[in-house]
Amino acid sequence: MTQEEYKKGILDRLSDKLVDVIASFISLFKKDWKKKNRSKMEEWKLMLYALNRSPPGLIGLILIGMFIFLGIFGPSIAPWSYRYFPVFENMSTYLAPPGTEAYLPFSEKTITYPLGADHYGRDLVSLILYGARTSFVISIIVILLGVPLGIILGLIAGYYGGKIDELIMRITDMFLAFPALILAIAFSAVLPERLQGFINNHEFFESLFLKIFALQPQEAGNLGKLLAVILAMVIVWWPAYARITRGSTLTEREKLYVEAAKAIGLSSRTIMFKHILPNIIGPILVYITLDFGGVILMEAGLSFLSLGATPPIADWGRIVYDGSQYFPEKWWLVTFSGFMILLVALGWNLLGDTLRDILDPKMRRSIEFKVKKQKQMEQMEKEGEENV
Amino acid sequence: MSEPILEVRDLTVHFYTYAGIVKAIEDVSFDVYKGETFALVGETGCGKSVTSRAFTQLIESPGRIVKGKVIYHKEDGSTIDLLKLDEEEVRKIRGKEVAYIFQDPHASLDPLYTVGHQIAEAMVVHNTVKDWKEGFRKAVDILRRVLIPDPENRVKNYPHELSGGMKQRVVIGTGISNNPRILIADEPTTALDVTVQAQILELMNKLKREYNTTLILITHNMGVVAEMADRVAVMYAGKIAEIGSVDQIFKNPLHPYTQGLLRAVPNPLAKIERLDAIPGTVPNLIKPPKGCRFHPRCPHATEACRKEVPKLKEIEPGHFVACHLY
Amino acid sequence: MMEPLLKVENLKKYFPVRGLLRTIGYVKAVDDVSFTINRGETFGLVGESGCGKTTTGRTILRLVEPTSGKIIFNGKDVTKIRGEEMKEFRRRAQIMFQDPYSSLNPRQTVFEVIMEPVRFHGIPVDDPEEFVIKLLESVGLNEMHLYRYPHEFSGGQRQRIALARLLALKPEFIVLDEPTSALDVSVQANILNMLKDLQKKYGFTYLFISHDLGVVKYMSHRMGVMYLGKLVEVGPAEKIFENPLHPYTQMLLSAIPVPDPDLARELKAKRMNVEGEPPSPINPPQGCHFHPRCPFAKAGLCDKKEPPLIEVEKDHYVACWLYAKS
Repeated sequence: MTQEEYKKGILDRLSDKLVDVIASFISLFKKDWKKKNRSKMEEWKLMLYALNRSPPGLIGLILIGMFIFLGIFGPSIAPWSYRYFPVFENMSTYLAPPGTEAYLPFSEKTITYPLGADHYGRDLVSLILYGARTSFVISIIVILLGVPLGIILGLIAGYYGGKIDELIMRITDMFLAFPALILAIAFSAVLPERLQGFINNHEFFESLFLKIFALQPQEAGNLGKLLAVILAMVIVWWPAYARITRGSTLTEREKLYVEAAKAIGLSSRTIMFKHILPNIIGPILVYITLDFGGVILMEAGLSFLSLGATPPIADWGRIVYDGSQYFPEKWWLVTFSGFMILLVALGWNLLGDTLRDILDPKMRRSIEFKVKKQKQMEQMEKEGEENV
Repeated sequence: MSEPILEVRDLTVHFYTYAGIVKAIEDVSFDVYKGETFALVGETGCGKSVTSRAFTQLIESPGRIVKGKVIYHKEDGSTIDLLKLDEEEVRKIRGKEVAYIFQDPHASLDPLYTVGHQIAEAMVVHNTVKDWKEGFRKAVDILRRVLIPDPENRVKNYPHELSGGMKQRVVIGTGISNNPRILIADEPTTALDVTVQAQILELMNKLKREYNTTLILITHNMGVVAEMADRVAVMYAGKIAEIGSVDQIFKNPLHPYTQGLLRAVPNPLAKIERLDAIPGTVPNLIKPPKGCRFHPRCPHATEACRKEVPKLKEIEPGHFVACHLY
Repeated sequence: MMEPLLKVENLKKYFPVRGLLRTIGYVKAVDDVSFTINRGETFGLVGESGCGKTTTGRTILRLVEPTSGKIIFNGKDVTKIRGEEMKEFRRRAQIMFQDPYSSLNPRQTVFEVIMEPVRFHGIPVDDPEEFVIKLLESVGLNEMHLYRYPHEFSGGQRQRIALARLLALKPEFIVLDEPTSALDVSVQANILNMLKDLQKKYGFTYLFISHDLGVVKYMSHRMGVMYLGKLVEVGPAEKIFENPLHPYTQMLLSAIPVPDPDLARELKAKRMNVEGEPPSPINPPQGCHFHPRCPFAKAGLCDKKEPPLIEVEKDHYVACWLYAKS
């Protein structure tokens, strides 16, 4: 289309390739997918162009890409295990400052501390890498459980209205009436024992959670507290989604295409999930992206309050808490792990803001406009001259 | 009679949008005579509203008046080009000598102020009244003139307390409050029901007669044109297709577009077996068709139509058409 | 020919007006409306905004549940049916909406839009793609449009897509709710002609809802005029236009602007005095709803008792005391 008339950067050409490759890949499984979804691909490309024009979005994307990479591979590339305590072999590793090297007599190894050590003499780099996994898994589970719950309840409330709406929204209000952190603290304090009992009785879940958190078997007894924090956060997380979904559903259900779907005879469930949901998902996606940062921050906050991850489980919030006792003399613990929390939260926020622009058709057009502005300015000037 | 009050020459307005330059109107020229009702007719996006707004530079970004002249003949006989005026000078003309009435009466009134306040404000701004007190007193008069019953009390009403037709009367009242010499009514009855529309049209005719105002009526409704207008300009895709007296346009339409438009309207008083539709759709004004902009839909299109832009030609006295057929 | 497909008997739809704690009144959107539509004909329903014509259309399809009354479709009351029967009714009775911009899901391609109802109702289709292309061709679109999204189409094209979706279900009865009022005249003529052609070809029965009398006259065989939730006049369209009986119908007809300047001048002289605006349907006037605006209202009768529908000539009914014998 008209895009060819404008200068494309290298990123734009890469984006084109990316979309084409994805499309070809899907076409392997679905016949004619490429042909049927040409309009969709066009729109995807535009979205990527918009992203390419937004430096904050790119920075966010890079930060989040790195976070996800660390979340998945962090424990595997960590030089030392989080359960390896050098302080028992060499006292000088106790809170060793960045740059220290120490010899560990029992294991006959030399350990270097690029970012310093904690009070067990553990390497901060390794701890941060393990901590990335903890934050990553917790934020994903919370979003994966809390968001769909909120969306479903919000859809039902908004679509049916009346008494059902009243019931769901009053419950939502009850949850929203408490400050989220206080409520989470309350649940994280109450839940651990039961969850621990459940974990102890179900070996499958025990090994599953140990695996996804990259923990060693000795930590089985600490899983309860970790899961309690997750559950507590799910409980405080869904009401916000129920509310925004309900709001968008209320506007969307008045649209004629919903009535047209009713006139065809489609069931309420089909209308809710196939017609309304795809049309309101954009703003929710933005909200989710912004919220990933929020979950990580709250999780760090709860760990800072000694809820959730128990030592020796590596967790950024917990490291900040432990380090705060030695702050500011031993500054590295608080600074580096705090910085990681900051970067990830920032990354999600930058990405979320950009996503909002990209997913909003009007903003997308305006970004598209900026891409093309250069050319138009030239034309305007030319016409201006003719005018004189 | 044929003394011009407004001479529009080569008016061109472009909108610089994300998708490209929308050539909303190009080289639009016509005269409006003192005391007449001049109708600008056309379909959505033909540029009729843009034209009327450009008279007093009411074009907002991303739009720009690229070229043209709008010569206004003042009461004392001197002339000025409205497009050459700066913001301050044009504001003195706008609302005082050239007033607007817009389509949607619900959106034209501010819900936070009483209707009296809004009418008075129009006069206070242009110093036609000494102070607000006199403004309110005059507002009652104006409401009476636009035939609102019980004006002494209505003046204290907020817009939401009035019906759609009453609101449009108030909007008209605001428009005529400074006794403008030109009143531009942009689809004044489109948002209203037929019975209310008839009342509003009647009212505008009455006011026009009383104050000898020149009325520029912008509409897509051929019925309204036939009832109200003295002269008509038909616009298509940002250009004038045909100008003539109302009888010339309706009885002897020359441009194929005008002919098509007239045949496409179902007349409620005639027996019609089948409407003649114009094939195709309105062109995209970013890349308008070359030559005559109507040629892709025109049944009589020739090679010349595809290449050359037709100029307005006078076929009979006062009847102009932009078509290669003539 | 004169076999009724749809019979509406005493249909009522009241919307509760909620106060702080309890219902404080009802909007009588449709108040005791009865009419029949014969197979293969177009029944026009006209009236001004808020008269209940749209609600009538939706209530008949049970998109809005009726408060009371019977809707007899193909000899069977459909007001209480559910499940499979309802599904079958949904297939046979369809609706086309006024606003082409919101009646199509923006996230579905044309192919999906058209195939969704077909799949849902289990209509056997050999080659879905070919099936959809054939449908698109029958409404003047083509293969190229198959996998595009609604935002890539103009208003007229979207109405065609909506129409193609209806055709896919092979319905018997279609409610056309102001299908062209959002479109330009030249496009409107295309859609109206197409609707007429399709009716001839497939024997559809239409309920055509509009506020545009010209369009209703063009489309309808029989028609009804609604005022404040009530039918005031029912009869063959020709007869109603030639010889309107109800004062409201007369007022409506005399208020339409006619696209013919000579006729307009002639009519202006003998035009009925059109006064007032429709009152709020929350508190309609006692007796005949029209009596406060009616020039012939008889005190003590029209403001006290509601007039019944009286058959004045064959198949031509009017609800007005003027025509009551003795």
